Amino acid sequence: MTTRTKLLLASGLASLMLMSPAFAENMLRVSYSEDPKTADVQMTTDAYTLPLNIFDRLVESETTGPGQSALVPGLAESWEVSEDGLTYTFHLRAGVKFHDGADLTADDVVYTFDRMLNPATKALNTDILTFIAGAEERLDGAADSVSGLKALDDLTVQITLTKPYAAFLALLASPGASIYDRDFTEAAGDQFGLTPETTNGTGPFILRDYTLNDSQMLEANDDYWRGRAKLDRLLVRVVSDSETLRLLFETDELDVFDLDYAPTQTPYFYGSDQWKGQVRSGPRVGIYYYAINQLKEPFGDARVRKAFQMAIDRQTILDKNFYGKGKLEDGVMPRGLACYTPAEAIEYNPAKARELLAEAGYPDGVEINLQQVSSWSTKWSDMNQIIQAQVAEAGFKANIVTTDEAAFLAARKTGEAEAYTQVWSADFNDPDNFFYTFFSESGTKVRGYNNEDPEVFAAIEEGRGMTDPAARCKLYQDLTARIVGTDAAWVPLFSLDHSYVVQPRVKNFVVPWNGWSDMSYYKVEVE
Amino acid sequence: MLMFALRRILVSIPVLIGITLILFIMLNVVPGDPVALMMKEHASADVIERVRQQMHLDDPLLTRYLSFLWDALHGDLGKSIKLNRPVTDLILKAFPNTLMLAVSAALVSWIVGIPVGILSAVRRDSFLDRFFMGFSLLGVSMPIFWSALLLQYVFAMKLRLLPVSGFYGWQYMILPAIVLGWSSAGVIARLMRSSLLEVMRLDYIRTARAKGLRETGVITRHALKNALIPVVTIMAIQVAGLLSGAVITEAIFSIPGVGRITISAISSRDMPLLQGAVLFATVLVILGNLVADILYSVLDPRIRAQMRKEA
Repeated sequence: MTTRTKLLLASGLASLMLMSPAFAENMLRVSYSEDPKTADVQMTTDAYTLPLNIFDRLVESETTGPGQSALVPGLAESWEVSEDGLTYTFHLRAGVKFHDGADLTADDVVYTFDRMLNPATKALNTDILTFIAGAEERLDGAADSVSGLKALDDLTVQITLTKPYAAFLALLASPGASIYDRDFTEAAGDQFGLTPETTNGTGPFILRDYTLNDSQMLEANDDYWRGRAKLDRLLVRVVSDSETLRLLFETDELDVFDLDYAPTQTPYFYGSDQWKGQVRSGPRVGIYYYAINQLKEPFGDARVRKAFQMAIDRQTILDKNFYGKGKLEDGVMPRGLACYTPAEAIEYNPAKARELLAEAGYPDGVEINLQQVSSWSTKWSDMNQIIQAQVAEAGFKANIVTTDEAAFLAARKTGEAEAYTQVWSADFNDPDNFFYTFFSESGTKVRGYNNEDPEVFAAIEEGRGMTDPAARCKLYQDLTARIVGTDAAWVPLFSLDHSYVVQPRVKNFVVPWNGWSDMSYYKVEVE
Repeated sequence: MLMFALRRILVSIPVLIGITLILFIMLNVVPGDPVALMMKEHASADVIERVRQQMHLDDPLLTRYLSFLWDALHGDLGKSIKLNRPVTDLILKAFPNTLMLAVSAALVSWIVGIPVGILSAVRRDSFLDRFFMGFSLLGVSMPIFWSALLLQYVFAMKLRLLPVSGFYGWQYMILPAIVLGWSSAGVIARLMRSSLLEVMRLDYIRTARAKGLRETGVITRHALKNALIPVVTIMAIQVAGLLSGAVITEAIFSIPGVGRITISAISSRDMPLLQGAVLFATVLVILGNLVADILYSVLDPRIRAQMRKEA
């Protein structure tokens, strides 16, 4: 067959599969707004659908209920942690095969983590492995291997840390810790994960086709160690326009409609007789917040920050902009996160906020800047508009500054960003993922807080190494009281539910515990 | 003719180099870091610094520009920072899709625009003329995202005749071609009309009529050839523009073309990819102009003579 005939056949087949429900019978069709760029999870920090379906991890984070998760054995059947919390010994499952038929061995695990830390890889997801002994030396090019990574025998891996890190297992369950095959990956070089021919994992699906900015086609792995997926195929389309997305869903060309990409459609789908029974919703372990930069006056004064907290009517924003689908948050940790307990409620009180501003020396009010990014979804600019009007009542004259994302991130890098609103969703189920990100010495600057509090820095470092779970949770709860209450360095807004609408033929669709759009489709079925 | 084309191509080389230089400087003046943009909310200062070094993004501006130029002269446009694939591959893979969209949109705009323009000119001020010109105005002034949504709603959602979006066969090309073609058909129709009206006022047309030629003969054999000159210019430039990517149409109809690549390169500050895409677009525009010039000479013997002199 000539290449041209093949191409014609392939495109004809693809169009048939897309157009006709008969061919789509055992195929789930989902979509994302951006191309994932690669299946190689070491090279991305935001596109996890391909890695979650093509690869496995030593440990998996499984959804056990709405917003609830548990760490369960993955490629590692069992593991032991030494008394001092420094040495982890993983026993791999025997008989696990990669898509190309190769056996999984302990050497593959050592190779995978070493590849991430190898400077030649130029990996972006290195943060999850920096606790391993020798990781920094390898990253800096001072060592040719990672001293803390050892294959004790064919099926036993030992990982040694520089200091105890309570969330290490949770980190190993995050998508970034997906396991690769040494021989295959070495041969693929920097092409790994970019095409079906250069992608190989142990996971439930095999990458069969990848057309940049268009779609990826995955096929069930018949020899999957947990049993073959119920789906034959998984089609992941790239659809950047939210109106197009809705039309595709309503004309039955897509099986799952993620309301995150078109939040304004929420009332329509929740109100439609045809669709309201098809909505699948779950809490998101993620928090919307307002970041305030203490280097930018008047936010250097805790009283002003407290006034800002009190000047925002969060319930109104939740009701008006997000149709009430969520819950107010008062702490750093959102509901569903390990160690979560409700924090002391922040009251909405513009009169008191005005008093606090006067006390801080601004009886006639004060000017502030709120920054937003032009390419972000309009939900952010809508929020800023409503917040601008709300805080005016307390005496804040807020200017809205719009820049592009590049300029915004550049300002954040130098600690110069203005106040901005964003959301943070859990990468792994541990408070450290929130506290370290925003209030550690390195995090507080790049996130645009500049909350230079040595005691908070020390407490966060201490929390990372604590092994007593109860004492550790207590530390994070105390930190919340200090950061949100006393210092008013953090303005928590709310956590939202994540809603999807699915076609009636889709069964077993479970919203992932963390509320991500990126998920494993292993357990989903279509009729 | 060949000499003329060669000369034009040689003259465009400094233009190309100039454009890469301007682009390089502009992109380095505006704030933004491709590595931070790849990591988005997960950006951590340490990782950004390290990866920037590994990618040689911290080298001096001149070093980077010269190495880009050196590689480009050897046919290597480098690798996209964000997509980690060779720039040439990315553009060449996306180009057939853009080409198909551009050609079908251009055909729609010509098949509709030229006859509509001629009919409007011939039946000037009639109901037909007003209707056609209103229709063209609508095409020119209606934003693409709106007409696209409208057509998608009617033909895909309500009538279920055509697919909403995607790129898996000829039927997927119909709506985007109409959307994109309609907007340029308007321009062509209006230009065709005014140009023909102008020509029809000239003396040689009166002579032709005085000779007793039939009106259709006057228009097709005498007037049209001259009236087409400005239209051909616009058509050639339009095709070149369409070939460098119809960003909005590609996004709405999920067509994996050059426009999508260019936009993502700009927003992610992906220097090598953007350089490649802009170079590619520049070459197309230069070629478009060249084709227009050659077409002139076919249409107008005076220009042919001028070209011979220049060559």
